Amino acid sequence: MHFFSSWRRSAAVIKVSLTHSKHDWFVFGRSLSVRRLLCSVGSEDDTIFALSSGQGRCGVAVVRVSGPASAHAVRSLTRGFPAARTASLRSITHPQTKELLDRGLVLWFPGPGSFTGEDSAEFHIHGGPAVISGVLQALGSLPGLRPAEAGEFTRRAFCAGKLDLTEVEGLGDLIHAETEAQRRQALRQMAGDLGRIYQDWSVRLKRCLAHVEAFIDFSEDELIEDGILNDVDAAVRQLQTDMENHLSDQRRGERLRSGVHVVIAGSTNAGKSSLLNMLTQRPAAIVSATAGTTRDVVEVPLDIGGYPVLLSDTAGLRDTTDSVEQEGVRRARQRVEQADLSLVVVDLTQLPSEPQLVPVFLRGHLKNILEQSSHRQECILILNKSDLISAEHNRSIQASLEQSADVPPACFLSCQTRDGLEDLLTLLQNRLKTLCGDPLIGSPSLTQTRHRTHLQKSVEALHQYHQYKDVDLVLAAEGLRLGLSSLGRITGRVSPEEILDTIFKDFCIGK
Amino acid sequence: MLVRRLRFPKTLSTCSIQASDVHTQHYDVIVVGGGHAGTEAVAAASRVGAKTLLITQKIQTIGALSCNPSLGGVGKGHLVKEIDALDGVMGRAGDWAGIHFSILNRSKGPAVWGPRTQLDRQRYKDFIQSELLSTPRVTILEGSVQDILLTTADPGKPGRHKVYGIRLAHGGGEIHSRSVVLTTGTFLSGALFIGQNTSPGGRIGDLPSCAGLSHTLKEVLGLKVGRLRTGTPPRIIKDTIDFSLTLIHLPDPNPTPFSFINTHTHCTPEEQLPCYLTYTTPGVERVVKESSHLNSHIQEDTKGPRYCPSIESKVLRFPGRQHQVWLEPEGLTSDLMYPQGLSMTMPHEKQLCLIREIPGLQRAKICTPGYGVQYDFVCPTQLFPWLQVKSTQGLFLAGQINGTTGYEEAAAQGLWAGVNAGRTSLSMPPVSLSRTQSYIGVLIDDLIGRGVTEPYRMFTSRAEFRTFLRPDNADLRLTLRGFEELGCVSEQRYNEALRVQMSLNDALSALESIHLSAARWKDKLGDVNISETKSSILNGVEMLQYKDVSFQMLASAFPELSGPYLEFSERLKVEAMYRPHCEKQRREMERMQAEESLYLPQDIDYLTLPVSLSQEVREILDSVRPSTLGAAARLPGITPAAIIHLFNYVHRTKHRNHSKIVGVS
Repeated sequence: MHFFSSWRRSAAVIKVSLTHSKHDWFVFGRSLSVRRLLCSVGSEDDTIFALSSGQGRCGVAVVRVSGPASAHAVRSLTRGFPAARTASLRSITHPQTKELLDRGLVLWFPGPGSFTGEDSAEFHIHGGPAVISGVLQALGSLPGLRPAEAGEFTRRAFCAGKLDLTEVEGLGDLIHAETEAQRRQALRQMAGDLGRIYQDWSVRLKRCLAHVEAFIDFSEDELIEDGILNDVDAAVRQLQTDMENHLSDQRRGERLRSGVHVVIAGSTNAGKSSLLNMLTQRPAAIVSATAGTTRDVVEVPLDIGGYPVLLSDTAGLRDTTDSVEQEGVRRARQRVEQADLSLVVVDLTQLPSEPQLVPVFLRGHLKNILEQSSHRQECILILNKSDLISAEHNRSIQASLEQSADVPPACFLSCQTRDGLEDLLTLLQNRLKTLCGDPLIGSPSLTQTRHRTHLQKSVEALHQYHQYKDVDLVLAAEGLRLGLSSLGRITGRVSPEEILDTIFKDFCIGK
Repeated sequence: MLVRRLRFPKTLSTCSIQASDVHTQHYDVIVVGGGHAGTEAVAAASRVGAKTLLITQKIQTIGALSCNPSLGGVGKGHLVKEIDALDGVMGRAGDWAGIHFSILNRSKGPAVWGPRTQLDRQRYKDFIQSELLSTPRVTILEGSVQDILLTTADPGKPGRHKVYGIRLAHGGGEIHSRSVVLTTGTFLSGALFIGQNTSPGGRIGDLPSCAGLSHTLKEVLGLKVGRLRTGTPPRIIKDTIDFSLTLIHLPDPNPTPFSFINTHTHCTPEEQLPCYLTYTTPGVERVVKESSHLNSHIQEDTKGPRYCPSIESKVLRFPGRQHQVWLEPEGLTSDLMYPQGLSMTMPHEKQLCLIREIPGLQRAKICTPGYGVQYDFVCPTQLFPWLQVKSTQGLFLAGQINGTTGYEEAAAQGLWAGVNAGRTSLSMPPVSLSRTQSYIGVLIDDLIGRGVTEPYRMFTSRAEFRTFLRPDNADLRLTLRGFEELGCVSEQRYNEALRVQMSLNDALSALESIHLSAARWKDKLGDVNISETKSSILNGVEMLQYKDVSFQMLASAFPELSGPYLEFSERLKVEAMYRPHCEKQRREMERMQAEESLYLPQDIDYLTLPVSLSQEVREILDSVRPSTLGAAARLPGITPAAIIHLFNYVHRTKHRNHSKIVGVS
C-alpha cells in the first residue's frame, strides 16, 4: 500500500463532507457519518472483553469477547472448539499457568452474524468473584485482547449496522450511565494510595515531556541547559522502574486464584478440629477430648462467600516430649508463619475468671501462639465453648475486650451448639474481602485489568523513548506523549496547554 | 484610473491613488490592512478568482516587518512551508529577502527542523509590494477605513448581519464588496507605551486607526473583545557595537530556500551576514528595577506573551539569571542591528542605560527606542473555522486581531481568510483545514476552539500528529488539495507537486520490493550496524530506517534506485523514518477528521437544550459555542456522554425541522 495514496484517501473524506455543507449545516450523510464518528472512537483491530452480566453476586456470570482474536481466546482457554451458536460445556483453564479456572458453557458466534458483527464468544461461568476475576485476568493475558471501554460492545454493534438509529438514541444514556458509574468508581479508587501513586507518575511524566518539548521548541533560541535531556533520561528510567515494580506485584491476584491460606491455631483441646469440621460441614479431622489428637496438618479447600480458602487445622501448641507431637507442633508453627490469616481458638473456660484480666491474658497467649508480631494483624480470635459459661459472663468478657485496644477482633462461638457461627462467617468474609480485594465492588477486578493494560502500554511507550532518544528526538518524545496519554486514561487527560504551562513555569522562554 | 501595476523592483512610494476612482467599483473582496495577514489575504483571494481591493494607511508600509527582521524557526518555519505549499507569498519573499539562512533543530528529528532566516527589511517589503502589484485582479488603495457597512442578514443562513463594504474616513465615501477581511493588527484601539507616556497608535510612526471600526465590532456586532500587549526592542546603531566582545553566529554554508518551487535563495552563500550573541548582566537587572516605577506598560494587567516577554518581565519573573541577547542584522546595507531579547518599554534614557550594561554594547547608541503596544483583539471563538465572524455574513478576521502574535501566524490566517472570503464572494462553499493535516489547521482550530488568554504563538508541541505534519511534506499535504479543491494553487506548482508525489511513491515501492536477509544487506552495504538477526528479512524501506543507512548507499548498491530518485534522497530517508509511526496514528487521525466534519448549528440554546447535560457542560458549550463536534470534544470539561447527547439531539432536530434548516455557506 502506498503511503501517500492512503493519506489522500482520508483527505477525500473531508471533501465529501464539505460538498454536503452546501445543503445542510449539520454535515453528515445519514447514519453513515454517525457510524464513522462512533466507529472510529475505538480501535477495531483490538479484541475486547468484559463481564457482561450485571454486577453483584449472581449464580451465572457472562463474560463476552468480541473482535478478530475471539477464536484465539476460545482456543486458548478451552479444548475442543465449540460449534457455532451452540452451548458447549468446557473446562476453562488459564492459558499460561494451565490452572483450571472453572467449568462452564462456551458459546461461539462467528461474525458477521453476531451481536457486534464481529467474531464473538461468550463464557457462561459461575458467579463467584474468584472465578470471574480469574477468567478476566486470563483473557487479559492474551495478546491483542483488552478490556472493553464503556459502551464499546454496543458501539461495535452499531458500527456493523446491527442497530438502527432509534436504538442508538439510547446509546447516549447507556454511555452516560457507564461513564458516570466509572467516574464514581474511579474516584473511589483514586482517593486511596493507589490514586496518589498514579497521580504522582502522571505529574512526573508530564514534567519529563514538558522538558523534552521545551528542548525541541526552544533550545535553539533560548538558554536551556544541555543537561536537561540527561535529567529526563534518569527520570524516565526511574518511572519505568516504579511502574514495572507496581505491575509485578500480583499478590492480591494470586490469593484470589490460588486461595487464601487460613490456619486454625491454638492450645491443645481448644476445639480447633471441631471448628474445622464445622466450617467444612464434614468430619475432616478426628475430634476427641484427648489433648494432642491432631498431630499433622489437615488441609481442606473451601469456598467462603465466593473466596477460595485453603483452611488448615494444626496440632495444638504445647511443650511436649512426644517426638511425633513435637514434629506436629513444629509444622503447626511453620504453617502459622506462612498463613495469610490465623484463626486463634481459645477455650473460654480456660480464661481468668476476672473479666478485666482477660485482655492481658489474651495478649500474652497470642504472643505465644503467633510469635511473629506481624501475624497478629491478620488474626481473628475465636472464643470457643461459649455454651459452657453463663451468658452473663460471656457479656462481661465481651465488654472488657471491647474496651481494650490491641486485641484482634474476637468472636464468641460454640462448636457444640453452633451459636455465633453466622457472626464468624461474616467476620471471616470481610477479612477475605480485604485480603483479595472484592472483585464485585465497583468491579475493581475489571478496572484493575483496565488499569493494568494502560499501565503496561505506558511502560512500553517509555521504552520507545529510550529506543529513539539518540536517533530521533521527535519519535522519542512521541513515546513520552503516548505514555502520558495511556496513563491519562487512568488519571485524566493532559492537554498540550498543560505541557506549555509546565514549560513556562520551568524555563525563561523569551526572544 | 490611477492605480498602477508596478513591476519589481519598482517601489510603491510613487504610487498615489485617489479614493474617488474606486468608488464606483464593486469588489468581491476588500482587505483592510497591508501587513502579513492582509497581504496574504489579498493574494489568496485573487488566486481563487476574486476581484480584490487592499486598503492600507500607507502603501509604503505594505509588507513591513514591524518587529524582528527574521522569518521562520521551529513551528513558525512549518507555517511558512505550508503557506508556500498553498501558493502564498511569504516563503518566496523570505527566499528573496533572506540574508542569513539556517535550519534550526538539525540535531533533533526532521519533523521539527525549523527553517529560519534573517531578513533584509527593505528587500522583503519590496518583494511583497511588487508581488501584489503583479497579481491579477488586485487593486491597492491608500486610505483609512472608518467603518464597515452592514445590512440585514441573508435569511436562512446563520448570522444576524451581513457586510456589504466599507466607508472610508475623511469623507472618502463607500466602497462595496461581498466580503471584507479585517487584518488591522495592533491598530484596533492600539496604544503605544514608552516609560510613562501613552499615545494612540498601532506602530510607531503611523497614524492610529479610526475608532469607528472598533466601536462597530464591539457595540453593533456585539463581539466579545479582549486586550493584549506586545513590545519591540530599541534598534541599535551598528557602528557603535563592539562585536569583539560577542560570540559570532554563522549561517548555514548552503542556504536552504523556504519555497518548494525555489532551488536557491536570492542571497548567495557568501553574501550572508552573521548574527552575534551576547548576554545580560546583573547591571541590566538593576536598571530594570530602578526604572520600574517609570514604566507604566509593565504595571498594567494586560496579558503579554509568555514566550516573547519584555526584558523587564524576564528579569522580574526569573531574577538572578543570565538571558541571551541576539544581535541581528536588519539588512545587507542597513546600519542598524536588532537586539532580539531586549524588548522594553522603559523611558528612552533608561533604555540606553540598560543596553550599556551588556557586553559589546557599552558604547552603543539607540536609533529608535523600544516601546510597548496594547491593542484590542476579537475573541476568536466567535469565528467559524473559515475565519468568518459567526454573526456577520461576509466578515472575516485574520492576524493579531484574532489574538495571535508573529508574522507567520498572521500570514497563515490571512491566507485562509483570503481563500474563504474569495470563495464565498464567488458563491463557493467555505472550506476548513483539519488539524490532522496542517499546522494552519492546528492554529485555527486552537483559536476558534479554545480562544486565547495571551498572544498565541505556534509551537510544534501543539500538534498531535507531529510526525506527519513535517516541513518536508507540506507540499504533499496541501498543494494537491489547494489546486484540486480550493483553487488557490497555480497549475505549475500543482504539476510539480504531482511529480514529486509520484516519484516518492515509485521510489518507496521500488525500495519495498527489495527483500534481503540482514546478512545479505551487510554484504551489499558494507559495514552497517543492523540489530536484526542474520536471517531476518528486511525490505529497502526498513533498511532506510536505520540511522547509518542513506538512500544514496542503497542507490549505489541497487542501480534501479538511482537516476530519477536521487534528487529525493533526503525526503525518502525522512519518509521511511516516520512512516511506521504515521501509520500507527492513522486511526486517531480519522476519528478527529470525522468529528471535525460534523458542524453544530450556531443557534442552539445550550442552557435549555432538552437533553441530559450537566449544568457545567451547558455553560462551557454556551460560552464557547463550538463550530464542530470535534471542537466541542476537545473542550476541557466536556464528557464523551455529552458529545453523544449533543450529537443525537442535533440529528433528531435535523430530521424534524428539515425544511427550516439551511447551509452555513
